[in-house]
Order: sequence, then C-alpha cells, then structure tokens
Amino acid sequence: MAFSLTINGQRHTVDVDSDTPLLWVIRDEVGLKGTKFGCGAGLCGACTVHVNGQPARSCSTPVASVDGASVTTIEGLSEDGQLHPLQQAWIDQGVPQCGYCQSGQIMTAAHLLNNNPSPSRQDIVTAMTGNLCRCGTYSRIVAAVEAVAGSVGHYQPAGEDA
Amino acid sequence: MTMNRRDFLKVSTGASGSLILAVSIPGCASVQTGYQPETGEWKPDIWLELTRDDEIIFTLARVEMGQGTYTGLTTLVAEELDVEPGKIKVKFAPVAPEYRNPLFGLQLTGGSTSLASSWEPLRVAGAQARQMLIMAAARVWEVDADQCTTQDGRVVHPNGVDSLRYGQLVELADREVIRGKVPLKPRSEWKYIGRKGGKLDARAKATGTAVYGMDVELPGMVYAVMTRSPRYGGKASRFNRDEVLGMPGVTDAFITERGVALVAQRYWQARKAQQKLQVEWDFSEALDTDTEAVFEGYRKAASENSGVKERSEGNVDKAADRAKQVVEAEYEQPYLAHATMEPMNATAWYRDGGMDVWAPTQAPDLGRIAAARHTDLSPGKINIHTTFLGGGFGRRLTQDYIEEAAAVAYQLKVPVKLIWSREEDTRHGFLRPAMLHRMKGSLNDGELTGWHHQIVGPQVLDWYVRNAAPAQYPWAPKFLYDTLGRVGLMAEGIATPKDISAIEGAIEYPYQVPNVSVRHTHTDPGVPITWWRSVGYSHNGFAVETFMDELAHESGEDPLQFRLKMLDGEPRHREVLERAARLADWGQPAPEGRARGLALFKSFGTYVAQVVEAGIENGEIRVYKVICSVDCGQVVNPRIVEDQIEGGILFGLTAALYGEINFDNGEIRQSNFHDYRLMQMHQTPEVVVDIVDSEADPTGVGEPGVPPVIPALGNALFALTGKRQRRLPLTA
Ligand code: FES
Ligand code: FES
Repeated sequence: MAFSLTINGQRHTVDVDSDTPLLWVIRDEVGLKGTKFGCGAGLCGACTVHVNGQPARSCSTPVASVDGASVTTIEGLSEDGQLHPLQQAWIDQGVPQCGYCQSGQIMTAAHLLNNNPSPSRQDIVTAMTGNLCRCGTYSRIVAAVEAVAGSVGHYQPAGEDA
Repeated sequence: MTMNRRDFLKVSTGASGSLILAVSIPGCASVQTGYQPETGEWKPDIWLELTRDDEIIFTLARVEMGQGTYTGLTTLVAEELDVEPGKIKVKFAPVAPEYRNPLFGLQLTGGSTSLASSWEPLRVAGAQARQMLIMAAARVWEVDADQCTTQDGRVVHPNGVDSLRYGQLVELADREVIRGKVPLKPRSEWKYIGRKGGKLDARAKATGTAVYGMDVELPGMVYAVMTRSPRYGGKASRFNRDEVLGMPGVTDAFITERGVALVAQRYWQARKAQQKLQVEWDFSEALDTDTEAVFEGYRKAASENSGVKERSEGNVDKAADRAKQVVEAEYEQPYLAHATMEPMNATAWYRDGGMDVWAPTQAPDLGRIAAARHTDLSPGKINIHTTFLGGGFGRRLTQDYIEEAAAVAYQLKVPVKLIWSREEDTRHGFLRPAMLHRMKGSLNDGELTGWHHQIVGPQVLDWYVRNAAPAQYPWAPKFLYDTLGRVGLMAEGIATPKDISAIEGAIEYPYQVPNVSVRHTHTDPGVPITWWRSVGYSHNGFAVETFMDELAHESGEDPLQFRLKMLDGEPRHREVLERAARLADWGQPAPEGRARGLALFKSFGTYVAQVVEAGIENGEIRVYKVICSVDCGQVVNPRIVEDQIEGGILFGLTAALYGEINFDNGEIRQSNFHDYRLMQMHQTPEVVVDIVDSEADPTGVGEPGVPPVIPALGNALFALTGKRQRRLPLTA
C-alpha cells in the first residue's frame, strides 16, 4: 500500500505493508539511518522521532497510523544545516559512548525543551528516563540538557574542561 | 631503533595523485613504508598515512564500542605527531596480522587492553613520522635537524619564522632514514595526553551519521531473519517452506546449521513470515537444563571435587583447625546477558568467489574464520569491514552472528543484512557464566589467618577457542579448525594463553593473610558462555569483597580498618581505598534511612575502591551515591576515564539489581527490556569518580568499574538491614 509522509520537510511516498513500523520506513525506505532499532517494543527509546511535533516510538508506530503526518528525525532536527544546540551540547559534554542510543536521547530532549525551555533537574529526569542507555551516559545527558536549558537562543558552548 | 627502508615511496597514480607516507609498525620492531614494490600496491597494514594534502589518516586497530579507543588511541599518535587529535582522520582496520592485539595474538578488542597495549607503539609511530618530517625539512633548509621544531602540523625553521607543512614534506620525508631510537616527548611537553579533550566521534554520534553494523546499506540488499532452536543445540529438521515462501516479499527460506533462514525484500516482511513459520526441531542434542539444576550441579561438583589448585600459601586447613572462629559462606551468581543497545547483526555479500562482511565485531579475524567455516571459502577470500559498535561488553567477541550472515549470503547472489530482534538477542546470546563460590575464613581475635576460596563453574575459553585457535593460524586448512580448537585447549598456556576467566581476581587476592588457598572446580553445564564486561572479576569481586565484609563483621571490626590493616605491602590498593573512604565520609553516619558499604578490587591492572550509599524506598533498592577512587596509571583523557568508570558502575549496578537470565528446560525465560531490565535515568545514583594522579603506564578502564560496585552495594544493604544476601541479583 502507498503511504505519504513528510519527513524532515520532504514529502515521501512509500509502498509498504500497512503494519510496517515507521522505524523501518524511515531507515530502509527513506534511507535515514540515524534513527535506531533497539528493542522493537517501545521499551528503550532508541527509535524516538517526532510525529507532528510529539515524540513517538517509531518501532511501535505502524506506518498506516501516521499516513500524512509530518515526521522529524535526528537528521532533520536542525533546519539550516547547523547543529541543534542540544547536538552541540552533546559534543561539548562528550555525552556519547557507543552512541547507539543517542539519537533517541536527543530527540526526547529536544521535545522536552520545545515544551519547557527551562526544565528543572526533575523535569529532565522525568522526561528522559524512558530512554535507556546501556553505556550509562545518563549523568552527561543531564549535564548537556542543563547546559542548553534556559539558554536556547543565547547558547554558549562549554569550555574545554566543562 | 633502526628503520629498514624497503623501498622509496612511489607517487600513486590514483585520481587524486596524492603522495602517501605510510608507516607500519609490526609490533614496533621496525618501520617500513606500506608500498609494495613487487606489486606496485599498498599493503593494507598501514597505521598512519600522511598525504600531500595534509591529510593524516590513522588506522584504528582496536574497535570503537563506546570505550573511547577512537579518541584515546588517536590522541597518542597526535601527541607525538604534534597535531590536534581532531585533525586526524580515523579509519577502522581490516583484518591483517599487523593489527593483532599483541597480548592475545588475535585482532581483538577486549580485556581493557587497548590503551595499555598501544601506549608505547602508537606514540613511537607518531614520533618516528614526526622525526622523518623534521629531517626532510632540515635537508631542505640545510640546517641541523635537532634545531627544528614542530607545531600544529608544520615543521618550524630554527629561525622560528619559516615553516613547512607536513604535506609539503611527505615525499621527501619518506627517503629519510632514522638511526637509533626516536625519543618520545617528555611528560612536561604533552599538549593532549592527560587533558579533557573532546571525543572525536561525538559529532557523528550526536547527528546520527555514525555508521553502525545495523546501518550498512548495499545495492540490491535483502534482509534475513534467523529462527533458532528455542533450546541451544537443537537443529531444525523440517519447516513449512511452501507456506512461508508464499508470503509477501519472501524470496528464500532454507535450513542452516543455526536454524531456519528467511530472506525477504524488506525486514518487516521477513519478520511477518517468521510469525507463520512452523519448525520441527531435533532436540536430541539440545540443552535441557533449568537454572536450579545448574546450581545443584555446581554444588555437587564442589563437594565431590575440590578442584585445581590455583593459588596456595601456608595451610588453610591447619589455620581453620587452630582458629577460634571459622566462617563459611556460599555465593551464587546467575547467568547474565550483555544487552548491547545495538542488537546482533551482520551484512554479507558473496560475489566473484569472495565474500565481504560488514559487522560490528570485537574480533574481525575471528569473524573471518567464522565466515569461512560456514561457506566453502578460505579465510583469504573473506574481507571483514568493521563498523562502529553499538556496545560490545564482550558479546561481540563471539562471532555467531557473522556465521549466520555468511551462511545465508553464500546461498544468495545479492547482499543480505541479517538482523536479530531484541528477543532473539536476549534468548540466543552467549552469556556471562553462572558461578558458585565457597568461602572459608579463619579468624583469631580479629586476625584473619586463613582464606579459602573455591570457585565452581565453567571456563570461557572452552567456548571461545573454537574460532580463536584457527584465527591464529589462518593458513591452516579448514578441516583442521576443530582440531586446532582442541589442541588450543590442551596446550593451554602454549598454543593459547592459560584461561583465567574463572579465577581472575580471586588468585590476586591482595590482603596479607598467612594461609591462602584458591581452587577452581571446573564444571560446565553446557550453557553457551562468553566474555562479559569484566567476566571473572565480576563474580570473583562479589565473592571476595562480600566475604571480606562478612569477616569484618564477624570480627566486630569496621570494614575499612579490617581491610587496611592487611594491605601494608599494597600501597596502590591502600591509596584508592583511603581516598574513597575519605571522600565518602566513611565513619560518619549516613543520612537517615541509608547505609554505606565499600569494596576494593583490582582488575585489568587498575585499582578501584568504591563506597556505595543505598537505602530501600517503596520496597525497592535505591542507590543514592557511588564514590569511586581509581588508579589506572597515566590518564590519556580524563573525560573518557570518568565515562568508562561511571559506565562500568551503572553496568555493575544493573547486574546487582536486576541481572538474571534463567532457563526452563533449556529455554531462556527473559526476552526484552521489561524482564531483562537496565538501569534507567531516574534510578541512577550520583557518581563521583576520583582519579589518582599517576605516572605509571596506563592500564584499562573499560571494565574495572564493574566488579567492586556489586559487593559494595550488597555490603551497604547488609549495613542497612543486617541481612546478608549471598545470591545475585539483590532484593529489597
Ligand atoms: S526500538 Fe523503539 S523503543 Fe526500543
Ligand atoms: S551511548 Fe551506548 S547505549 Fe547509550
């Protein structure tokens, strides 16, 4: 069946079974590999994307349920080819270890900041805790989100020893 | 060190026309160009290339799985070459003998060895390249090479004004001959080592552009899923082939050694066909054990066979006879899965009589053997392309997923990506072995006079050597592979290193006790096992440091003082223990409702002491704080050391709190993250990593954070509740 989606501002028509998870559409039909497969069951958050501005577990989202929707993936997080402040903070804080969970982490954090530009530590933990990281980068994730929180727009990269 | 120059460098005739200086460091014995005059080709075993366009390309022979080799090892080269680490391009190594890990004789990444084994050779490589560039510049300027310096990719004239870019010098530099040893930079001149430099792969990983095995894309690629026997060792004998072949998108369906392979145009089509698949299994050689039976078997083995003597001083039996008090304990640790965030996968393409395999593997040369075993190809016809790894933790040292992809690709004319689901990853992996420990301590008025530790369980190498032994002899004919595996085991210590996976950490018991005995009762219930972030150290750490706590308690002494008084000859142990205790306010009461526990454990050459502060909230164990002091010798990048230690702590806590793989009649009960839980952000304690300033040679940090945290948490819970837990995972 044919479905049509706007992914990172570009319209795509894909011909797949209606129960195909959005994750595999994004990865294998559209070819954007930044969104990751971790559990396939909505349990880890590695596959997090934004669907019409809301975070969604793309592994558990059948493509038929998002026909016509607008999807943002890690590749489309920043619009002008620049890094999103969160991505910059992720680099400055040296968050990623294996890195496999990080696209999902950043997408979840981006949604948090869209809704709540200056979250408390507790807000951050509540928003992020569904995203698993086997490498244990949680404290650096919190630090990176806090570095951006409240400073979007006048974001200062952290110093070398930050 | 003398350089044996085999030939002058040749201008490559490639489109770029660029000139390359290649330095290879086999072992560190000599330096040669990578150019092969006989064939006019470049050898693949190049470590460092400098091009006329000022590109510096470093071949990373230790894979990047989150442990930071990408940054750490590149920093070593950069330091001696006098360029910013970020200016160096990193490329993953192909399979070649030169890239073997000298500590194993295999091209593998594990055992927290990457930095330790690269510390000297990579700095030497950088220093030699730099020296050749300086000599070339000196020749151009007709000045004394000793008067020239380097800075940010340029050689600077003695006048301090003129300079030449490395790229301008590579052609000339290649003709330089170094006699004698090139001195390494003194510590005082380091610009990058020891500093919190950025991670070179952070940008790719924050933008979703880093390519993991899962992300490999090839023209005309199809997808495969493998349906494996629910019980390890079962074989597929029949399946409803016609029905699944009629499913949308399915192109092939066949039985392999590992199970039934379904191939489809799209991944989801393969998964859907799998739901309709009905397989008849031959379970005649399949595992039929239960977890309870494993431990019963261990107990029986322990009682019947005291095991092999692995360490012995004095006489523990006499010590027990003379002791006022003899304390005994038995500890149990379950099987554990690795749960790497990226499930197992591999992509393979069979064409023109050879095969290319793209895979997130910790041991590409073993992967090559694995692929050769499952095809008619010789290892020389198989290329392994290593990608970024979405976690390793030892799981990707075993190459079963490459075997599968190779077996499937060999039947097809197109490239195929084989993907494991999370459930398959949890149920069909190779596990951290379950172990049993029997401890006996002799106490005389607070003095520990005897320490007896009996370790009961399997050895990892028994499972590993099958592919590892042939990988050491890639020219051996394939019919010899299994023999080599067996010989490797029999000739332990000669053909293969002695397997210390069961006893590591126990034989290095550091406390000064006059009578010590460590024995291993080798028994293998047939459950597939492999390395796991700190393997033996992880279970021995729990046994040793929990029992030390029990003994301290029995002798009515403070756990810190009890340990310290037996560490007189171990200054590095002492230092980390004292530092952690000080930072944790050991001796001061913990906040209301909480208690502290400590543990000290050396693994992979690194000394680690930890104090855990824990409590119980709403019927669940809550870890509030972990203070960790670590001595890992010279630190190359403190940020990466902190990350690795903290990551290890969370890995250990995850095991201590939730980790358990159980069998019912040979089938694994757990399947996904709901029943094989990982620690989440809201459960994560505050972690303080305190690094001892040291000039000793660097040691590993990927694993040493894991072992002590498990007993430290158990000891804290004992202090809190007065109830000793001798089985993992811990309960509230
Ligand atoms: S892959 Fe979607 S939540 Fe884990
Ligand atoms: S960085 Fe490896 S899983 Fe998060």
